[in-house]
Amino acid sequence: MVSAFLLSGFLITAFLMTIAKRITALIRTFRLQSLFLFLYALTMAVAGKHIELFVICVSILILKVGIIPYVLARIVRRINVEEDLGLIMNPQISLIIALLLSYFSYIFAHQIIPKALAVELATFVVSIAAICISFFIMVSRMKALSQVLGLLAMENGIFLAAVAITGGMPFFVEIAFSFDIFVFVIIIQVFVYRVNRLFTHIDTSKINSLKG
Amino acid sequence: MLIGLIISIPLILSVISLVFRKEKALGIVNAFGYCMLLLVCALFVKSFLASSQMRLSLWDWLYVDSLSVFFMVTTIIVAFAASIYSVGYIEEEVKEGKVTLRKAKGYYFLFNLFCFVMLLVIVLNNLALVWIAIEMTTLVSAFLVGFYNAKESIEAAWKYIIICSVGITFALLGIIFFYYTSSTHAGVKSLQWLKMLNGAHLFDPKVVKIALVFIFVGYGTKAGFAPMHNWLPDAHSQALSPISGLLSGVLLKISLYAILRFVMLANPSVGYAFSAKLFILFGLCSLAIAAGFIIVQKDLKRLLAYSSVEHMGVISVGLGLGAAGGIYAALFHVFNHAVTKAFMFFCAGNAVRAYRTNNMNKMQGMIQLIPFAGTAIFLGAFALGGLPPFSIFMSEVLILIAGFVSKQYFVSALMLIFLAVAFAGLVHHISKIALGSKSQSMARQKETLSTKIALLFLGIFILGLGLKIPYPLFSLLSNCQKLILAQ
Repeated sequence: MVSAFLLSGFLITAFLMTIAKRITALIRTFRLQSLFLFLYALTMAVAGKHIELFVICVSILILKVGIIPYVLARIVRRINVEEDLGLIMNPQISLIIALLLSYFSYIFAHQIIPKALAVELATFVVSIAAICISFFIMVSRMKALSQVLGLLAMENGIFLAAVAITGGMPFFVEIAFSFDIFVFVIIIQVFVYRVNRLFTHIDTSKINSLKG
Repeated sequence: MLIGLIISIPLILSVISLVFRKEKALGIVNAFGYCMLLLVCALFVKSFLASSQMRLSLWDWLYVDSLSVFFMVTTIIVAFAASIYSVGYIEEEVKEGKVTLRKAKGYYFLFNLFCFVMLLVIVLNNLALVWIAIEMTTLVSAFLVGFYNAKESIEAAWKYIIICSVGITFALLGIIFFYYTSSTHAGVKSLQWLKMLNGAHLFDPKVVKIALVFIFVGYGTKAGFAPMHNWLPDAHSQALSPISGLLSGVLLKISLYAILRFVMLANPSVGYAFSAKLFILFGLCSLAIAAGFIIVQKDLKRLLAYSSVEHMGVISVGLGLGAAGGIYAALFHVFNHAVTKAFMFFCAGNAVRAYRTNNMNKMQGMIQLIPFAGTAIFLGAFALGGLPPFSIFMSEVLILIAGFVSKQYFVSALMLIFLAVAFAGLVHHISKIALGSKSQSMARQKETLSTKIALLFLGIFILGLGLKIPYPLFSLLSNCQKLILAQ
């Protein structure tokens, strides 16, 4: 019951991201998605009584619910990003594409784990759908920060996929991945500031002098 | 023990680079450090080839076999050349005021860190740690791509980080699928490559195939395979020239190395034929796209970057032609391309400095303006295009022979056509800038000693390997082929 609720929450936040029109809304939704991921991992940890999984939960809470959204929100405040996300497609069409992607994820998941339990299968479908939708957000939004958020949401989906089909990767691997994401965000922050200083905007559709 | 020394030398050098006061002294110390690294590496290879089992596993975390040794040697040779080239290059940049002393220190710090993570990719046994090390190579080198903080270089760095990170995220999904089938079907709950290989025959073929596609797309993005290559010409042309040499010469191959590790895991369950198909698909795609862009290119460094895409295509096709010596030839090409491309980027670095532009329409009479690098780039164009006395000719012919022996006539013919187009484009562009007479207003320029030494050092390999393959390299390469085909 609980896990079904959390999973649907996770998927709904992915859909919310496709219709978000402002960068602050996108960051808030990402935080919410990470929170669902944290709670889901927590239920797994309680059910399985793994100490290691608890540690991973804490790292999700600190990093993905805490630090990363905070850092991104601070960037937005500091450089006065225009709120508008620069959608290529309007939200309605984006939503329909996201729905289609989730359906394909369902078919794909069936191919990979045909004999799995219902819960496992559902988790896997949700994770693949979240990965596809996040990737779609990345390619269809023009602001530098929305690309970063799409990428981070993809990593959320991948984390869920790992939990779904393997019951979590080895402990130190998870910790190393968290560290990697942390470094990634710090470095991205440096580059967003540089882009902003040189171009006075962070609209990647207008950054296109290198061609051919 | 030697292996620990090899990894730690770049790390020590990166710390040293923070304390020096003068950029030239720092550069010389750095080059000396890489000279030591080369010596240690030579000692290691000697003892490695003498040992009977040809593999080495340390505390479960480091694993070295013929394949890793081969890539390590390639990396270290190119890194050594780049470290020598950097001495003169950075000194001139500081003189011209393009780079401050503080930034020069930063350059050497990042240079060493970059080499350190690349070596780490090669020696680590754990696939997840390899993934992280590859992501680190992107993050570290992004600073070197965006080093000048100009609009173009920041744009290139941004594209580089985002596209490669997305690519590598797909590779992570592939790793998870491998872990899934390894833990449920083979009962190996670990990501240690060696342990997974022991259970590899029990993997579920369907899952392995899907996982392998993700790995090819993911790491292939970083290896510069063609539909995912758009970041490459930008990043490789905007980086500093010694770094361009490292990026094109070595980093692309490091990702290929990661792909090969997964191919080896997949072999026992799905067979090499499946991977071979993927290699040929991506290889021909890269060749076709690169050949077109080489013809119409105006920017010298972008020309060389597209030529890297082309050569990654050649290597990939060679791997796809597998069984009949194709892998041997492809790996030989890995080395040849690494040295030749680094050589060309170093020449291009001197050219760009002399003309103060990347635009080939504004360059003329390079042999008159900078005789040494001008002659080198002219000869290098023929070496890179694959003309006889040079090493790339040897490996390309071996790949084509493998193609005809294994009766893949269509693939070989296509490859031959694309190679011809690329050769024509390359020689046309380079001879236009090298020959002719320089404009009256430009005076003949001095070239620094260090860049000449770096070019000579790489030139020995380009010419030498075209004449004869030394026995140690031969045995290393044949061992790699055996390993990959699991014979």
